[in-house]
Amino acid sequence: MIAVSLILLLVLIGLSIPVAAALGVLGLILDPLYSMLPLTRAMGEMAWSSSNEFLLVAIPLFIMLGEILLRAGFAERMYGAMSLWLSWLPGGLMHANIGASTLFSATSGSSVATAATVGTVALPQIKRFGYNEPLFLGSIAAGGTLGILIPPSINLVIYGVLTNSSVPKLYLAGIIPGFLMAALFMAVIVVACIARPHWGGQRVHAHWGERFASLVHLLPPLGIFLLVVGSIYAGIATPTEAAALGVVGALVLAAVFGRLTLAMLREVAESSMRATAMIMIIVIAAAFLNFIMSAIGLTDTLTNSITGLGLSPMWMLLAVVVFYVILGCFMETLSMMITTIPIVAPIMTALGFDPIWLGIVIIVLVETALITPPVGLNLFVVQSLRKSGSMQAVITGSLPFVAALFMMLALLAAFPGLALWLPSVFG
Amino acid sequence: MNALPNPNLLTRLLALAGTLSRVAVWVGGALTLASVLLIAYDVIVRRVFGITVGGADELSSYAFAISTSWALAFTALDRANVRVDVLYQHLPVRLGALLDWIALVALGVFSVYLTYHAYDVAMTSWTENAAANTPLATPLWVPQSLWVLGLAWFSVVLALLLIRASVALVTGDIDALKAVCGVKSAQEEAEEEAAAGIRMVKGESA
Repeated sequence: MIAVSLILLLVLIGLSIPVAAALGVLGLILDPLYSMLPLTRAMGEMAWSSSNEFLLVAIPLFIMLGEILLRAGFAERMYGAMSLWLSWLPGGLMHANIGASTLFSATSGSSVATAATVGTVALPQIKRFGYNEPLFLGSIAAGGTLGILIPPSINLVIYGVLTNSSVPKLYLAGIIPGFLMAALFMAVIVVACIARPHWGGQRVHAHWGERFASLVHLLPPLGIFLLVVGSIYAGIATPTEAAALGVVGALVLAAVFGRLTLAMLREVAESSMRATAMIMIIVIAAAFLNFIMSAIGLTDTLTNSITGLGLSPMWMLLAVVVFYVILGCFMETLSMMITTIPIVAPIMTALGFDPIWLGIVIIVLVETALITPPVGLNLFVVQSLRKSGSMQAVITGSLPFVAALFMMLALLAAFPGLALWLPSVFG
Repeated sequence: MNALPNPNLLTRLLALAGTLSRVAVWVGGALTLASVLLIAYDVIVRRVFGITVGGADELSSYAFAISTSWALAFTALDRANVRVDVLYQHLPVRLGALLDWIALVALGVFSVYLTYHAYDVAMTSWTENAAANTPLATPLWVPQSLWVLGLAWFSVVLALLLIRASVALVTGDIDALKAVCGVKSAQEEAEEEAAAGIRMVKGESA
């Protein structure tokens, strides 16, 4: 049963059938093959219950929040402020890339959008200050990945729904690793630029007066972050409600900056609805397939045969890491999460891993997938922004940051408290 | 060749479907914004005045289901459905074109099953007069039927795309086939994201 299902799945996916259709069709095939009852009838109920789940309403809202903020017109000023504060470090503006990405991540749940926004502002500076091009490009691609680790994060909402774990706890768990990740990225830049000083370009010098004056440009994103994340932990709002408050805040900001127009709202509607529908059809198909799989006993058989391997928890963790790194080379990240987590998470929790901690580990693995070739989407985004030069430069420049992501994984494995301390204090 | 549907008529129908789907997405966006305002109002009134309005979560969940199902057609027309192209990109163009067609068939099969069983859910709610187990006691067939209509529209659009793609496949018009249902490469997708990034930062008002 396992072999047949796995081969069918690989064939469907390999034929480049859309992931949602592949999962749905697999469910449709497995049902008559292994079940006495017509399980497919439950498809309608499954689809309806995932379609009107209030927690999932957070997905379009967070996407919309990001889309509005991107168009609200404070990215350039925010980047400017970050460069005044951070560019004295060896590596100069590359730290501003990471800093701006970090702050942007705290308002946006998407990695690709973060890379696109920061990249647009940052790229013209390479030539101007004579930076090492690959490393600079890598810092943009890598900085962008923070978008899904630092709350709010769409990926963490999906993980929470798939594993029945608390999204507020997941968000708390993401904060320390998120900022630590940013610090590790900056450390990579510092080390590289101390080893090869000419990579770091000209330093930009700033006066304290300018620095403090620039702080005002950091207020809009900080305000949104506090509104969204603060309202969750003050116990005022659930994640979905916090997302709604965030959207209202973003609309106000856009209005203040004179960017709130009907044309802008139409664009926001199109991109957020498209992204939501794309995610939801996979969620629905996966819910259906998971139902079929557990009804025909496939989930149990699969779990038993994997746990039957008798791997120790640490070996199992290593296997999961290798699994996601390889899969991440071929699959878009959200569909990868939706398809695999219903299987991976129960196995890992049965081995004694904390589901909240596991969520953060998986997100770091997804970040890695975003900047590893051949389908690391952030790499392509940065490359398209450049318009010239070879893709190889972006890939080479991202490698040191991939190393930092692996270091983060090792740290999380050695010190689970990095993720679990905040949830235990506030939980 | 006369037996084949007229590609021009099909192109016009698809353009019409495209416009309708886009309008559906705008309406979906408006519904989502309405949910935002309703939820925000609910939270603020609850915290500041201690009054529980209630129902915001329920209504916005319905809005979510409806706006999502109506946006599915838009994603199909935009070729935004996630596909894994690891083998695809190494295949000869003609074989790739055949896979594009198969992909559309598979999506169609899934969508028709989904629509049919969703219709079943809505019909059951209608005949049993089922109401939500909430203070609003919403008759479930109302949101469910709007939701099913979105799914049905998705199937209709997929059928149109499939006819267009089949004509292109039979006549060997590979370019037309790619335009209807080819894989959007990571390259293409990233270019769109990047263009959007530039447009956003530079801003319409700048």
